[in-house]
Amino acid sequence: MSFDLIFWVLCFFFDLALLSSNFYQLVILSDLEADYLNPFESSSRINFLIVPEFIVHGLLCAIFLLTWHWLLFLITLPLACYSAMLFVNKRHLIDVTEVFRALSGEKKFRLIKLGFYLFLLFIIIFRLILSAFNSLTSDEHYVDLF
Amino acid sequence: MKNPSLALARTLSHLTSLKPLPTAPRVDDDGDSLPSDLTTTETATTSPLLADDDGYLLPKSPTTSSPTKKATQLLSRKRQQLRIRWPYKCSYHVKPIGSDDLGHLKLFARPTAAPFACNSLTMTPFQSSGPLVGSDNSGLRPNTPLVPQSTTPFSSYGPVVGSESSGYVRPPPMAPQTNVPQASSFRPAPPARFNDPSVPPPPTSYAPTPAGPFPTPQFPSNQPPPSRPVIGSRPPFQPPAAQVPPPQLPLHPQQQIPLVPMGSPPQNMNYVPGTGRTNIPQPSSDSSFPALRPNSQPSFPGYVRQQSSADSPAPPVQSPFLSKQGSAPFQTTPPSFATHQAGYAASPPVAAPMGLQTRDRMQHSTLGPPAGSLQGLVEDFNSLSIGSSPGSIEPGVDLNALPRPLDGDMEPKLFNEMYPSNCSSRFLRLTTSGIPSSQSLASRWHLPLGAVVCPLAEAPDGDEVPVINFSNSGIVRCRRCRTYVNPYVTFTDAGRKWRCNMCSLLNDVPGEYFAHLDSTGKRVDLDQRPELTRGSVEFVAPTEYMVRPPMPPLYFFLIDVSVSAVRSGMIEVVAKTIRSCLDQLPGFPRTQIGFATYDSTIHFYNLKSSLTQPQMMVVSDLDDIFVPLPDDLLVNLSESRSVVEAFLDSLPSMFQDNLNIESAFGPALKASLLLMRQLGGKLLIFQNTLPSLGIGRLKLRGDDLRVYGTDKEHVLRLPEDPFYKQMAAEFTKFQIGVNLYAFSDKYTDIASLGALAKYTGGQVNFYPNFQSSIHGEKLRHELARDLTRETAWEAVLRIRVGKGVRFTSYHGNFMLRSTDLIALPAVDCDKAFAMQFSLEEALLTTQTVYFQVALLYTASCGERRIRVLTAAAPVVPDLGEMYRHADTGAIVTLLSRLAIEKTLSSKLEDARSSLQLRIVKALKEYRNLHSVQHRLGGRIIYPESLKFLLLYGLALTKSTTLRGGYADVTLDERCAAGFTMMVLPVKNLLKLLYPSLIRVDEHLLKSSGHDDLTSIEKRLPLTAASLDSRGLYLCDDGFRFILWFGRVLSPDIAMNLLGPDCAAELSKVILGEHGNEMSRKLMRMLNKLRESDSSYYQLCQLVRQGEQPREGVLFLSNLVEDPIGGTNGYVEWVLQIHRQVQQNP
Repeated sequence: MSFDLIFWVLCFFFDLALLSSNFYQLVILSDLEADYLNPFESSSRINFLIVPEFIVHGLLCAIFLLTWHWLLFLITLPLACYSAMLFVNKRHLIDVTEVFRALSGEKKFRLIKLGFYLFLLFIIIFRLILSAFNSLTSDEHYVDLF
Repeated sequence: MKNPSLALARTLSHLTSLKPLPTAPRVDDDGDSLPSDLTTTETATTSPLLADDDGYLLPKSPTTSSPTKKATQLLSRKRQQLRIRWPYKCSYHVKPIGSDDLGHLKLFARPTAAPFACNSLTMTPFQSSGPLVGSDNSGLRPNTPLVPQSTTPFSSYGPVVGSESSGYVRPPPMAPQTNVPQASSFRPAPPARFNDPSVPPPPTSYAPTPAGPFPTPQFPSNQPPPSRPVIGSRPPFQPPAAQVPPPQLPLHPQQQIPLVPMGSPPQNMNYVPGTGRTNIPQPSSDSSFPALRPNSQPSFPGYVRQQSSADSPAPPVQSPFLSKQGSAPFQTTPPSFATHQAGYAASPPVAAPMGLQTRDRMQHSTLGPPAGSLQGLVEDFNSLSIGSSPGSIEPGVDLNALPRPLDGDMEPKLFNEMYPSNCSSRFLRLTTSGIPSSQSLASRWHLPLGAVVCPLAEAPDGDEVPVINFSNSGIVRCRRCRTYVNPYVTFTDAGRKWRCNMCSLLNDVPGEYFAHLDSTGKRVDLDQRPELTRGSVEFVAPTEYMVRPPMPPLYFFLIDVSVSAVRSGMIEVVAKTIRSCLDQLPGFPRTQIGFATYDSTIHFYNLKSSLTQPQMMVVSDLDDIFVPLPDDLLVNLSESRSVVEAFLDSLPSMFQDNLNIESAFGPALKASLLLMRQLGGKLLIFQNTLPSLGIGRLKLRGDDLRVYGTDKEHVLRLPEDPFYKQMAAEFTKFQIGVNLYAFSDKYTDIASLGALAKYTGGQVNFYPNFQSSIHGEKLRHELARDLTRETAWEAVLRIRVGKGVRFTSYHGNFMLRSTDLIALPAVDCDKAFAMQFSLEEALLTTQTVYFQVALLYTASCGERRIRVLTAAAPVVPDLGEMYRHADTGAIVTLLSRLAIEKTLSSKLEDARSSLQLRIVKALKEYRNLHSVQHRLGGRIIYPESLKFLLLYGLALTKSTTLRGGYADVTLDERCAAGFTMMVLPVKNLLKLLYPSLIRVDEHLLKSSGHDDLTSIEKRLPLTAASLDSRGLYLCDDGFRFILWFGRVLSPDIAMNLLGPDCAAELSKVILGEHGNEMSRKLMRMLNKLRESDSSYYQLCQLVRQGEQPREGVLFLSNLVEDPIGGTNGYVEWVLQIHRQVQQNP
């Protein structure tokens, strides 16, 4: 087991967590829109997830930096900065009293994030397979192109 | 469980909490529908018809442990510091004996050892601690301080014989008709008959003939009204005289002054001699005047052109014009340009470049006289010339010619006339009752497209909303869209089916509701079915519409007793007012009441009925707040009446020596929530200082001059701490409505505190710098009104609309519970809600759009009811029609709410300019509509229906919320005004924006004994030019009276009115009655004015001319037509708008 493989597996799970969290929030928001959920319930569920999600994203971003994956670091950096900005301005949580006014914006934001993490997931899976392949055939680094 | 109702509630809530919350598929989204987290216990799994009702929210899981246990555990676990405090600070801390299950009881028993020494200095408002032990023990006895009869509401839903459940105590106004067990009393007979339930109707009334002796409405309910009646083409069935309102005619709601603004056919007859000319614009006459150049800079900006009243001495041609201007007072101005009159007479008003001209051109009516056909294409609009007088080049507007709403609010008569079954306009007003037929048309209507709903508006006597009990058939609603049965549904198939007017679905008529149709297709029992003839009805809601039994009305008072509250005298006024209102609290005998006070600690009061004196319990741990006693803090008023009275009597003296300056407001709020979460109800907060302790403490972020004009400005008007929004959401969740009374002279951050009221459907009453000697009367009246007005509890409101139209945004004080469901824990007649709709489909296929407001609520008597308001509006294909059907009042209400919301996200300046831009866009569109056909020259044109829009727009930019910047209004006042304006119904808002100014000295001097309001209420334009320094003027904006003493007012008057105070500084003088006729007359007059608008108390403030700066702040700022402090005057405003309208896009 090489370090590389462990790293990519870790990234894979981080990204999967982010992806599923976003998907879950999106589902809650559409439930709210369709009146399957009340605003109190839905915003408390979403707000519960927001800060952990920021932290995971920050971790992901940080380990990309620490392991000198510049490209991936630069890809994840803008979202990390944006999240940090939201957090500093205290706008990261869903405001239960005005949730319907912000609903479409929040949905759009999460949809974009969902796409972003999906894209990231593809890259990570690709690298994961590569490193897995490399570690299995450790003597010959055929495809150590990346 | 001691208490049956509580037990029931808990059982119910327990059941509910077991349901899979998020995933339960909602069968329908009905109106008063169940919020998804709560499902009805019985209905959730049954048929879709049942499942749709609504909701009321149960506390999510108050089930796990009874509050008693919880508190006990808490106590024993934490070994709380609990003090029993005696009056006059003789309290001390007691350590609870935690091991005992009855620990908390002993706890209260401990103070038997209280140091009586300190108690002895004065009389003790509370009983001495001796008997405490016994009484505390009895706290566990199974007394039922909660509603003993809480199960009674259900009995009415059983098979009640007759159509009415007569066992119910109904609110007094309803009583006459509702208690009659005979359905025939619901016949849409004239009110006189309605009110006389004791007289059994003659047997003939049962005869199934619609041609019975009782008047039936003009439009049979089962036939769709003629769609989109074009006004102009209606046969002239009304005599012209009916359309000519005499200028001074007082506007009476019932009065039919319809069609005033709309050019209507009958006038064609009057028109005959002049028709040839009127609709042909005569360029020559335009050219006979100097070129109109509105863009040229005025060299004499102050120049005001005199109105020449071109129409008054005119040949018969112009008589219709004259009469058309009914509401315009300026036609009486003397013609100063006499020399031009001949010219005007010769060339009809179209061409006259000056003055206000009402061009009433009728649409060609085939039924009209032949002359009408000559008129051809026509529109009606008003115009105002922005012209220059001969010899001068500056553009000017005749100040006197500008339209002013001196007759008050004009209700849209037309709307209700076309559809007589519509609900009254006091309940529902559309910004335009011509619904655009396409999206492209809607996008050209730049004003808001929406409605203002005041669901519980006070009905004048004799016009109460009938209450209907479908005892056994269930409420008849459309299967698909959940519309309630209403006058516009049609019955077909020999009465077996009905077609929904909203979604056109064919529904079955329930067996019990079946009635045969007569030859015209009307139901034979139409006259016994008010829901089929009237647009406003109330249904008694069966159990499907509730998830818990209706709760009793609960009033909980949270009173600040810190030093500033004591000094201002607020506590005394509040205690006395509450005491005096105890008899009138709605919901007797179920009403519950409770009190808590707070400074740096929170004090609760045990008001158990077995006590003779209330007991105070002090909680000083603010970090982990708890309620010291599970029951007995909220008690049934009728049972504990004497204890409550004893408490209120002693409250002022209890804290009179309090020197505590802190305010643990946030913890007190949390405690209130803990207390009230079982029942919901109304929380009245009396707050005097900035919250300084515990959670929710606020900074003195203050009003910073430097912040104004920057991007951070709006943050000042937003809640600083999210705690308040969260608390508001919690309150709404548990059906608690918050009313905030704030009194401080210093900054109290109304922006944060007001959020509590904003999201719970409450209101903010702000008394800056409260002094009981001055403002006590105002507080007394407003609090009394708050406590005694009929209130709807646990309410949800939804507005449904026909296919293709959708409500998109809602504005007001409430919280949205789902995308289109407004949650209102407590709502009353003084609250209005605005909403905007948009078209979902590119093209509307229907001819009529129906609106239906449904408010599901618990009446104070404990009955669950649904108030259903239905209105129809025609779909119109062109913009002109939309303008013709516009309602200025509703538009201004919506515009003001949008502007106030804008101030929460951007600068004041931006809010003002976006308001202005909106008006400009609307007028530009209107101008484009007409500029093709008519030479408009330098005139600003506007639809007759919107003639006051400009002025109200100006008044709005000068209102307390939007005015100026840092220096003009303090932040707290601005926020409080914003919260208030967000709930005001149309009428009150218009009055606030354009107060009435009347001259009273002449009236006072008149010896005539009768005080007829109409004789004195001649409103004057709000400009300094209306003021005469020899006069005494009264300015009334619905919130306060300002009595303005002219500088050279006869000293006799001042002496008579003020007595010996007349030389003193007026800010300190309180107007009272003196022993002379004049003073009495004035007071009578003021009281009459107050009675006419009782939602707020108008405190009378006196100001003398030239008394700066008080005059400026108080009085001159109300003169909205004058340019004050760099703002536009009316004339400049009109010119500015006109310039912007003329600019090409």
